[in-house]
Amino acid sequence: MATVNGYQGNTPVATSPGPKHPAPPAKTADAQSVLKRLQSELMALMMGGDSGISAFPEEDNIFCWKGTITGSKDTVFEGTEYKLSLSFSNDYPFKPPKVKFETACFHPNVDVFGNICLDILQDKWSSAYDVRTILLSIQSLLGEPNISSPLNTHAAQLWSNQEEYRKMVEKLYKPPNA
Amino acid sequence: MESDSISHTSPPSASNCKDISRKKRVGTSLSCFHFHFRFLIFFIDVLFFVVDFQRSAKLKQCKLDARREQWLSQSAVKNKVCCKEGTNDGDSKQTQRGERDRSLENFEMRGTAEANGEVENVSVQHESDSESFPPNSHTSSSLLGGMDSGTSFTNSSSSSTSSGGCCSGSITEEEGGDGCLDDWEAVADALAADDDKQELDPNENNKENLCLGSTPGLEPNPQLGSNGEGSDLKNSEPECPRMVQRATGTCRAWRADDTFRPQTLPNLSKQRSFPATDRRFGQGGVSWMRNSAFSVPSSCPICYEDLDFTDSSFLPCLCGFRLCLFCHKRILEEDGRCPGCRKPYENDPVEAEASVQGGSLTTRLLARSCSMIARS
Repeated sequence: MATVNGYQGNTPVATSPGPKHPAPPAKTADAQSVLKRLQSELMALMMGGDSGISAFPEEDNIFCWKGTITGSKDTVFEGTEYKLSLSFSNDYPFKPPKVKFETACFHPNVDVFGNICLDILQDKWSSAYDVRTILLSIQSLLGEPNISSPLNTHAAQLWSNQEEYRKMVEKLYKPPNA
Repeated sequence: MESDSISHTSPPSASNCKDISRKKRVGTSLSCFHFHFRFLIFFIDVLFFVVDFQRSAKLKQCKLDARREQWLSQSAVKNKVCCKEGTNDGDSKQTQRGERDRSLENFEMRGTAEANGEVENVSVQHESDSESFPPNSHTSSSLLGGMDSGTSFTNSSSSSTSSGGCCSGSITEEEGGDGCLDDWEAVADALAADDDKQELDPNENNKENLCLGSTPGLEPNPQLGSNGEGSDLKNSEPECPRMVQRATGTCRAWRADDTFRPQTLPNLSKQRSFPATDRRFGQGGVSWMRNSAFSVPSSCPICYEDLDFTDSSFLPCLCGFRLCLFCHKRILEEDGRCPGCRKPYENDPVEAEASVQGGSLTTRLLARSCSMIARS
């Protein structure tokens, strides 16, 4: 009871009765430290002014962020924009957040559900990473996929033919509606 | 007087006699007083003349005035004696007084070299008599007149000059100190400007010169500018120029409100280095590899809490990645790998063992032993 209250009281808007992402039950001290870390990251991200990446918490829950990545120049993903969701647990940053593509992305390491196969989001996670480095890593992953362990085998096979791949990306790309 | 007359109305004859006798007495006393009063007026005129002569010296401090009046009272007593001896040569007296005043100014303005020994002896006698600044005179004799510190003040002119010089030095200490500080700061500014010109590229050099020319209130401007530069993340080497600029910024020695400059200088640079590192982390770079190579971060890169002294002196991994003790403990409980290099922590054998063998086992054993101890 106390933990839930303390957790929800720290979110920016606690008016909605049922948030989309239910808050995982955890200790209040952990939630406090995670909150501080996420707030600091948000501040740094907004002050940093990185081009091509952005992220912001959802309305009612600072533990769920929405991020956007634009495809890097000179890659087949140039000119595209992808939405992602980041879900932080109370173990963050000792455990990585759950990151998924909200926008369909035709990529060898992204499956049809938007799950991402990226080492730093699994076993190579370090608590020194943050939202910014995650988004930058995913942005660089777009242009440099790991063909050896694909989630999307079709994309992995087509990667060698960049012109065809570009056509496929444009064909499957649905710009995220704001 | 009125009350007297009213009270003495009933016996008129006696009261008249008494009044006459009183008036006579009052008249004689008044004439005496008149004489004394004239003498006093003359004396006050002399005093005013002397004071006016002294005001031409434009001395500011109240201490000096007080001491001068004390000295004047003494000299006036001596001048009285002179008046009784010979009242004809007033001009020569004035010249004498002028000489004494001049010598007094010399004595108080630290110009003790050209003062003659006689007047200096007088002034030193006054110093010892007045006892207004006994510690100064003592320290002066011990500091400056080290060789003849044991001699009396009135003995030799050298000891008197030394003590007088130090007395005046103690009085004008603030002004002299400020002047020294100004000179020192000017030299430091010049040196800093030279360093800036040597080390910085033209843009930042202009900035520094602007800042040197501006008021101290505008000091944070170059730092803000550097922050703006640092926000450009595509810059491949943002650290080195900023570090140079920061270093020269902390070496700047022209803050006007620093009265105790040499003492606070290192502290100031320390204090200003912390927000600088904090700002570097505030940029969200978490480029801890470079940061750890240069300086200790001010906040833990994991939990963003401020590092205290124990945390900042805690270096758990050879890669140089620093973090607070709480986050270190937390990581040891989970996977025990350094967030900076992903290698297991090894420097502490117990902790490394715990991390290698699995933290749960050792903690369970520890808990058991603790419970055993508690039971027994």
